Amino acid sequence: MISPMPTPAKREPVVRVHDVHKYFRRGSERLDVLKGLTLEVPDREFLGLMGPSGSGKTTLLNLIAGLDTPSEGEIWVADQMISGMSESQLARWRTRNVGFVFQFYHLLPVMTAYENVELPLLLLPLSARQRREQVKTALELVGLSDRLHHRPGQLSGGQQQRVGIARAIVTDPAILVADEPTGDLDARSAEEILDLLGELRESLEKTILLVTHDPRAARRTDRVLHLDKGVLVESGVADRAE
Amino acid sequence: MKLGILIFRNLRRNLLRSILTSLGTVVLVFVVTLVWSILAFLQAATEEKTRNLKAIVTERWSIPSRLPFSYAATLAEGAARSPQDVRPLDSMNWQFYGGTVDPEKISRESLIYAIASDPRKIPTMLDGLESLPPDQEEQLRKDVEKLAATRQGVIVGRNHLTALNKRIGDRFKLFGISTYMGIDLEFEIVGAFPPGRYDGLAAFNSDYYLNELDAYARRNNGRKHPLAEHSLNLVWLKLADTDAFNRVAEQIESSPSFNSPAVKCETAASGIASFLDAFRDLIWGMRWLLAPACVATLSLIIANAISISIRERRLELAVLKVLGFRPWQILTLVLGESVLLGSLSGLASAVATYAAVNWWMQGLKFPIAFFDAFFIPSDAMVWGFCVGAAASLAGSFLPAWSACRVKVADVFSKVA
Repeated sequence: MISPMPTPAKREPVVRVHDVHKYFRRGSERLDVLKGLTLEVPDREFLGLMGPSGSGKTTLLNLIAGLDTPSEGEIWVADQMISGMSESQLARWRTRNVGFVFQFYHLLPVMTAYENVELPLLLLPLSARQRREQVKTALELVGLSDRLHHRPGQLSGGQQQRVGIARAIVTDPAILVADEPTGDLDARSAEEILDLLGELRESLEKTILLVTHDPRAARRTDRVLHLDKGVLVESGVADRAE
Repeated sequence: MKLGILIFRNLRRNLLRSILTSLGTVVLVFVVTLVWSILAFLQAATEEKTRNLKAIVTERWSIPSRLPFSYAATLAEGAARSPQDVRPLDSMNWQFYGGTVDPEKISRESLIYAIASDPRKIPTMLDGLESLPPDQEEQLRKDVEKLAATRQGVIVGRNHLTALNKRIGDRFKLFGISTYMGIDLEFEIVGAFPPGRYDGLAAFNSDYYLNELDAYARRNNGRKHPLAEHSLNLVWLKLADTDAFNRVAEQIESSPSFNSPAVKCETAASGIASFLDAFRDLIWGMRWLLAPACVATLSLIIANAISISIRERRLELAVLKVLGFRPWQILTLVLGESVLLGSLSGLASAVATYAAVNWWMQGLKFPIAFFDAFFIPSDAMVWGFCVGAAASLAGSFLPAWSACRVKVADVFSKVA
């Protein structure tokens, strides 16, 4: 069952990024994407990451979500150092600790909404009954309990993104990361999704990291970090995002 | 189990591609099954047995073998000269005869090759007739009884019945051809070999043939037919074991009765192997070129289909990784799809081939030496399953490996 996380007495950082570098090599050339980046994200914070294209915000999100490993530096999430984990260890860690919301939803087209949400639960030692309960709870939380057996092609963009969010929260992860979750939606659907993320953050007490170009989305966050050319250039409250 | 559910779902994702890949597998496993059935049959025929084996006695220095019929009785006894000598369990003389129903227009359909022998030996000494279904066995027993009682009777193969447009009870006349010229025989069809067994052969009474050879001399002022003294082509002997064979072979080959012409005694497997030597290149090609080429083609077809599928689904595989699927699980997922499709298609193909060839076609007509029809062994079900599974595993391994190595960050950076 999805349940709210216990409220700690003090909001300890759930994500700690320390002096992280990420670079790629193209032949003899070295491309630095993140340059000695350090940040902390307190528990239950709704953090926005903004910046121009190529600034490194998605790379940072991927590193925090354990989809990639830093070239140098350390990343700690929920008291686990993920920067030293192998690919398999990261995969196992992601199942329980990170929920990922994509810009283009990325639902599996041959599966129903129910089956898509159930997918990450297949990796956990749960009975069919436990899986069924968790999937239904997640879909109820995103307001799609009447669309269990619809395939992605039968849902609107906003509904598909809701299924994507249900899939992200169904394992009750420590953090939710969302990479431009409203980027492919019309204004109204985008507002609904942002409302939903806000509600989930309140009701489930999740830490949410949101990468966005959209100032309206950034305004919904507690804090906005701006990246440019791989370094944090500005940090402030959401009101100043624009 | 949970991965199995995903594998099944993925197969129906692109149903057309799954069906086409499956059909490709079915066709190629069909060819492989046929080729391997023939090879397995020949292998079994040329494999030396240690018990209940058959020996073949032929002329030592000449092909075709032509022995005096006077050898027959002694050879049937294994040339035993004293009570301590070993005697065969059973024996059968073969005297070949070839004729045509239409001497004016000789064609494949009008030609009949037959063996003259003791009819009572047919059920026990002709390979493939010892393990018939009960109804066919009973019918053969009745036909053999009729043949023994009918001097000019003949049991014919199904192909001849069709080619001659005759039925059991009809009569026909054969005009001797080639070395059999001058020996014309009139027959009454008393029965037919079971379907798929000796379809291109006929068997009749040795007595009738010998009488006609004698009659030839009477009709030609005492001049004997050239085959009169050499009408026995070979003798089959059934022996208890290898030791008995060695003893009988030694008795025959050392017997002074068989000096001119000299004879040789070898196991049936060895004799057949010698005979099949003429087909050595064909069999080699089937074993080492055709069958491997089919399996390789099958692997390529599956590799192609799976590669296309992987390219289309790179993003989806990356999503699975994001959700926590580990590389080995992705590998299992992709290999599972391929192996499931390949093995089930292979099994279906082998079952269909077995049913079509053995029940519907009554044997695969592929004349090699004196084997004119081949049957699919029940082992083919296992071959089909294994060939399908192995070819799909080989064909999908590289695409599956590439799928499990998908870099999530790379895939999403391209999407963005």
